[in-house]
Amino acid sequence: MGIPLVEILAFFRKAERTLSFFILHETASGYALFERIESEEIGQELEEVQQSVTDLARFSKSIKLRSFAPFKSAAHALENIMDVSEGVVNPSLKAFLEMNMPKASKKQAVQLGVSESNLGGGIKAELGYDCVHNDIVRELLRGIRLHADRLLAQLKEGDLDKAQLGLGHAYSRAKVKFNVNRADNMIMQSINLLDQLDKDVNTFSMRVREWYGWHFPELVKICSDNGIYAKLVRLIKNKGDLGEDSLEQLEAVAGDPIKAKQILDAARASMGTDISEIDMTNILSFAERVVSLTDYRKQLHGYLVSKMHQVAPNLSALIGEMVGARLIAHAGSLTNLAKYPASTVQILGAEKALFRALKTKGNTPKYGLIYHSTFIGRAAQKNKGRISRVLANKCSIASRIDCFLDKPTSKFGELLREQVEERVKFYEEGVTPRKNAEVMQKALAAVGMEDLIDAVVEDDDEEDAEEAPKKRKSDSDEEDEEPKTPKKKSKKDKSEKKEKTPKKDKTPKKEKSEKKDKTPKSSKKEKK
Amino acid sequence: MAYERGGRGGGRGGGRGGFGGDRGGFGGDRGGRGGARGGFGGGRGGARGGAVSKFGGGGRGGAGGRGGRGAPGGRGRGAPRGGAGGRGGARGGAKVVVEPHRHEGIFIARGKEDMLVTKNLVVGESVYGEKRISVDNADQTKTEYRVWNPFRSKLAAGVLGGVDNIHIGPGKKVLYLGAASGTSVSHVADVVGPTGLVFAVEFSHRPGRDLINMAKKRTNVIPIIEDARHPHKYRMLVPMVDVIFADVAQPDQARIVTMNAHMFLKNGGHVVISVKANCIDSTVAADIVFAKEVKKLEEERVKAQEQLTLEPYERDHALVIGVYRRQKKAKTSE
Repeated sequence: MGIPLVEILAFFRKAERTLSFFILHETASGYALFERIESEEIGQELEEVQQSVTDLARFSKSIKLRSFAPFKSAAHALENIMDVSEGVVNPSLKAFLEMNMPKASKKQAVQLGVSESNLGGGIKAELGYDCVHNDIVRELLRGIRLHADRLLAQLKEGDLDKAQLGLGHAYSRAKVKFNVNRADNMIMQSINLLDQLDKDVNTFSMRVREWYGWHFPELVKICSDNGIYAKLVRLIKNKGDLGEDSLEQLEAVAGDPIKAKQILDAARASMGTDISEIDMTNILSFAERVVSLTDYRKQLHGYLVSKMHQVAPNLSALIGEMVGARLIAHAGSLTNLAKYPASTVQILGAEKALFRALKTKGNTPKYGLIYHSTFIGRAAQKNKGRISRVLANKCSIASRIDCFLDKPTSKFGELLREQVEERVKFYEEGVTPRKNAEVMQKALAAVGMEDLIDAVVEDDDEEDAEEAPKKRKSDSDEEDEEPKTPKKKSKKDKSEKKEKTPKKDKTPKKEKSEKKDKTPKSSKKEKK
Repeated sequence: MAYERGGRGGGRGGGRGGFGGDRGGFGGDRGGRGGARGGFGGGRGGARGGAVSKFGGGGRGGAGGRGGRGAPGGRGRGAPRGGAGGRGGARGGAKVVVEPHRHEGIFIARGKEDMLVTKNLVVGESVYGEKRISVDNADQTKTEYRVWNPFRSKLAAGVLGGVDNIHIGPGKKVLYLGAASGTSVSHVADVVGPTGLVFAVEFSHRPGRDLINMAKKRTNVIPIIEDARHPHKYRMLVPMVDVIFADVAQPDQARIVTMNAHMFLKNGGHVVISVKANCIDSTVAADIVFAKEVKKLEEERVKAQEQLTLEPYERDHALVIGVYRRQKKAKTSE
């Protein structure tokens, strides 16, 4: 009654407008919570904020340290930075915020400014605070970062630097230690070693031939295989000691009675020089090395094959363990390979040719590493490029399945391989290949994921409709050469083309939908 | 060779490529590429004689026959490069005079041939097999310097190329993006000295390992194994810095640099970026690529002040130096 209306209005306005704005700043030594004080000096405008930020005297008037919670130990800090960098709300951050942030009520709105939206989302979900991440917050955080030494009064000068140094080391070490591509690295190292061994064994064998050739030149002609040659050297030693009784052993090593006989005859009538005991010992010890190196290579190959079956079963079923391993090695990891588009997989390993072609505006290469696959060797010259393209598409699918599917199966790879076979046949004999949907359904049925079949089929229908006409334009340069094949087989022409055009795109997309479906099922990231 | 640290050309190539190692399109043949680089680096050594004289009053010239990178120390100084040499570096000390460079923290060793050197923070040790020069001071103490090879470090190439101001000096805080195995970082750490700090960001684990090992010895280097594309991931480790140096060789490097600048670079701080034209667009001429990059930077409040080609040390590379202005108004008022 006695209260003027103006005052009542003012009261309400005030009640409505109380907004507390907090800012979370993560430092290497702990979490800091700042409160922004609304002052007339500092407006809401970005530029004003920007100007105020540089000046500590002005800035410290507008922002006040509400609370600071230092990390208890180095391990605690590490645990927190790991979570912060992934945008996860660590329990200690949660406790810190709960303790220091006022609860939002009708009278008071509470907002928290964070430096990254992911973390904001996490806080919102866990604690229910409104999180803001905008230009003004970023600007204020810049200011806090700039004056951190002064604003965090608890810390002595240089404390923060020390904390950063310690935490930087710990964080980086943890990153290097927890390597996501452990299995891939083993594959990469062993394929590289295998290639190196191939080269070395070859040069060493040549050396053995050359060296032992002085003593027994005829042996080279009789035995052309490097490995067997070295073994024979080890067995024969001095050719003069060879007699009828060693025939059996010779046969065992050479694997052929005729050859054994030839060796014996040649040894008797050899034009090679005699060799002293000590020279012979040296030759023999070298031959021994070569033999053991050859054996080691074999063993390493076995290891690589088994490793590939574990890590990338589908890729190895599709393209072979060796080429698959090379692809992984070249991409850097299976995850990387899975991220590459098929067009990149196709020319992986032909970068030099590709960049030359791009520079000179010439023709880009048709194939890189996948050239070593048997498919391309088998295809006719004019079809090599096409097969390469198909194969790259399938490789890309297979690597994605390997990377993201938890179920250890090579069924997809086997079926993809069949598809490529069919494609080769199609180019040679004109046999229409099966449809992708059909094959994938079969694969899904085989691995017991029938529930995904519907998704595959639905997806297909949609794309048939929209992709087909668009596609034709986009790869016109490929289509240039394409019509030549079907022309010969006049009738099939249409049905094939219709089927083929959408295919290129369809497969990876289908795969994606498959992946999407699977995600909730199990921990996808295990391999990552 | 690519993964052997001691290997000169190759070793570096491995590390360098490493940044993009886990992502870029065709990052695979790095070791090979690095190796090739080593090769032609040596080949171009001849050119160096002429180029070096740019800074050094030209009194010397001519000695260019020396191979660039792979050349062993052809003179009496020949320290067996693997750090094993201990005193080896000091041998030729009598003939060498070290004088400060125009840029603070960097020195020139004038012997038979001029060399760029930095004061070694960890006396008695080489980081990557570079030569060391020990000089007797007037007060009986010794100062050790490490030779900074412009063929291996783009920053050194820029300094020799005659850049006006590198903005990296004693006491500065530097955010170094694309640190690789820390060869250049070690020199930057020498330049900023014990009062400065270098935050070295490298994504690839393999060279990152070497970086961490290097940083163990130099307490002013903070190694960060993280993707420079995501500065918020290492926001807890980096304060506001004076300079950002970037040698990331990624198609989106302007974006990477400016993102980091928005978060960590002081108002009025500087960026020093090494741009490799081929990594951004290999189909157009290098000049056009550089111009585009500069434009991209300017859109993000980085005003380019200087641009300098790194010939003859690197092909189609440029060093771009810019200043970061947060607010537009301030620029006009100043």
